Amino acid sequence: MSKTDLSSVGRAEDCSRVKSPQLILRSLVRIRQVGNFFYPFCNEIHGNRYRILAKRLLKSNTTGLKAGATIACALLSSLSQIDTSLFFHSTMANPLRLYLTCIRNTLEAAMCLQNFPCQEVERHNKPEVELKTSPELLLNPVLICRNEAEKCLIETSINSLRISLKVKQADELENILTKKFLRFLSMRAEAFQVLRRKPVQGYDISFLITNYHCEEMQKQKLIDFIVQFMEDIDKEISELKLSVNTRGRLVATEFLKQFI
Amino acid sequence: MAAIAVHQFAQCITCHAWSPDHSMIAFCPNNSEVHIHKLVEEKWERIHVLQKHDQIVSGIDWSIRSNRIVTVSHDRNSYVWNQEGVDWVPTLVILRLNRAALCVQWSPRENKFAVGSGAKTVCICYYEQENNWWVSKLIRKRHDSSVTSVAWHPNNILLATTSTDGKCRVFSTFIKGVDTRDSGTGSAGDSKFGEQIIQLDLSFCWSFGVKWSPSGNTLAYVGHNSMIYFVDEVGPAPSAQTVAFRDLPLRDVLFVSERMVIGVGFDCNPMVFAAEERGLWTFLRFLGERKASSSSAKYGSQFSEAFGKLYGQSKQGINNDRAETSIPRGAIHENCINSIVPLKKGGKSTNTRFSTSGLDGKVVIWDLENQEDLSEYL
Repeated sequence: MSKTDLSSVGRAEDCSRVKSPQLILRSLVRIRQVGNFFYPFCNEIHGNRYRILAKRLLKSNTTGLKAGATIACALLSSLSQIDTSLFFHSTMANPLRLYLTCIRNTLEAAMCLQNFPCQEVERHNKPEVELKTSPELLLNPVLICRNEAEKCLIETSINSLRISLKVKQADELENILTKKFLRFLSMRAEAFQVLRRKPVQGYDISFLITNYHCEEMQKQKLIDFIVQFMEDIDKEISELKLSVNTRGRLVATEFLKQFI
Repeated sequence: MAAIAVHQFAQCITCHAWSPDHSMIAFCPNNSEVHIHKLVEEKWERIHVLQKHDQIVSGIDWSIRSNRIVTVSHDRNSYVWNQEGVDWVPTLVILRLNRAALCVQWSPRENKFAVGSGAKTVCICYYEQENNWWVSKLIRKRHDSSVTSVAWHPNNILLATTSTDGKCRVFSTFIKGVDTRDSGTGSAGDSKFGEQIIQLDLSFCWSFGVKWSPSGNTLAYVGHNSMIYFVDEVGPAPSAQTVAFRDLPLRDVLFVSERMVIGVGFDCNPMVFAAEERGLWTFLRFLGERKASSSSAKYGSQFSEAFGKLYGQSKQGINNDRAETSIPRGAIHENCINSIVPLKKGGKSTNTRFSTSGLDGKVVIWDLENQEDLSEYL
C-alpha cells in the first residue's frame, strides 16, 4: 500500500467543506475500498479523525461559517462488515466504541459553558442555543454520523449545549419501539434534568445542558451519562424487539393450537 | 506544591476579592449575596453578608487604599460599600444600564471604576463630591456584543475591554475634573473620554480575561478557541503574539511579572505562560500536579472482576469494548476556574501569590516562591 492511499483515507475529513451529499458518499466509498486492504490502520485513522473533529469545534470560526455548515463524518458501518471477514480482534474493531469516543471528545470540548445573561431582554437569562437571538453567541454545530440512520448533532452556545440523537431503526417494529420508548422518557424529562421535552426536528431525542447543570454536576459525569445513555438505548431497543418477537411467537402458537 | 491553602467556602463561587491586608475575603456564593469571611484564630468565619442585589453578583472588587468594595450584579445595579464601624454601608451607583453588569474593576488610583455590561457598553463611574454621589459615564459605541472583562492601565487613563464579538479594545477614559493632564500619563492624556485608541481583531471567537502587565507595556487576553494573545506596544503600531495550546479554553489571566502569565479556565488547572529572552511567549506547564489518571476503565467493581475470572475473562472483554472513560481533569479545582486575583504585598514589585476561585466553590491560594523552574521569569 503506497502513501497515496493513506492520504485518500485521511481526505474523508474534507467532506466537511463539501456541501453535496454525492461527493461525501464518493469519498466514503473510497474509504471503504481502501479499508479492505488497509484495515489494520483504518481503526487508528478513524480514531485520529475523531480527535481532530473534537478539536475543530473550538477552532471553528463563529462568524465565518454559517450555522448550516456542519461537519460530516465517515460512515463507519462499513467497518463492521470488514471485521467479520477479516477476523480481527473484537475489542479493537468495535465501531460503536469509535462513534461514542468521538461524541465524548466533542462533548468534552463543547461543554465549556458559563453564566451569561440575555443581551436582548432585560433581566433574563435563557439558554442561547434555544433562543438564537444573538448569532455571535453560537458556535458551529457539529454533526457526527455513524451511518444514515444513526447520527448525533451537537449545537453549542455560550451558556448552553444541545445534543440531539437519531437512533438506529432498521425496520417498522424498531421504529415503533423507539418512538414509544423515547416518548416515554421525554414525558419524564424532569427526572432526567438534562433531557429536553421535545426532540429537535429530524431527531429522536434531545438533551439540553445549561451552565446551571455544569455548576451543580460534574462535567465528566454528565458526559458519561450521555454516552452511557447512547450505549444503553440500542441495547434496550433490541431487547424490546426480542421480547416482542418472542411474545408474538408464543401468542401465535397458542392461537394456532386450537386448529390442530 | 504551588498551592499553599485550599478553602471550601461555598457550593459555587462566581467571583471573589481580598481585603487590603488579606485578612478578609469577599465572595459571591452564586446567588445575590456577598459573603465576607475573616480569618479568626486560624479559622475562616463569616462576619458579614451584604444583601442588596436581587440577582446573581457577577463582579466584586476591593480597593486597596480606600478600603471600599464595589459589587455589580445581573440586576443592572452596582453598589459601593463603605465600612463604617462594624457595618458595611452601601451607596447605589446609577449605572444607567438596561442589561446585566458583568465585570468591575477599580482604577489604579481608586478614583474611578469601570463596569462592563451585557448592554454592549462600558460605564466609567466616578465620585462627585458636591452631590455625594457616584456618577456613571458611558462608552456606548464600538462594542458589538457583551463586554466580558475590563482592565485598567497603570496610568489610570487607558482601559482595555474584551467582548463576546471577539475583539479587544483600548479606550481613553479621561474625565475632566477627575484626572489631571500632567500626571505622567504621556500621550494617553491627550485623548478625549471614550476615544478608542486601538481595536485588536485577533480572535475568531469570544474573548475574555484581559489584563495589563505591571508596567503597562504588554496586554494579554484569551479567546474561547484555546488561544492566548499578547500585545506589545499598544498604540499606533502594536505587535501581537498568539499562543495556541492544546487544552480547554481559558477564562481569565494574571500577570505575575513582566515575563510570566498565569491563565485559568475550563481545564481546572492554572497554566503558566512565560516569555523568553527575546520576548517570545510559550506555554510552560500546568501549575497544579495532575492526578495520575486511572488508565484502566473502572466500570466493574472488584466483585464483577471476580465474576470475570469465573466466566473466563469474558466480562473483562466487554469492559474493554466500551467507550473509553473520560480523563479526570484538574488537581485541586474540580470545576471550571473563573477568577484569579493577585495577593499583592505592599512595597514589593513582584508578587508571587495569587488566589483562584471556581465553580466548585473552592478558593485556592498559590505561591510561586519555591518553584525553581519558574523563578527565572519572576
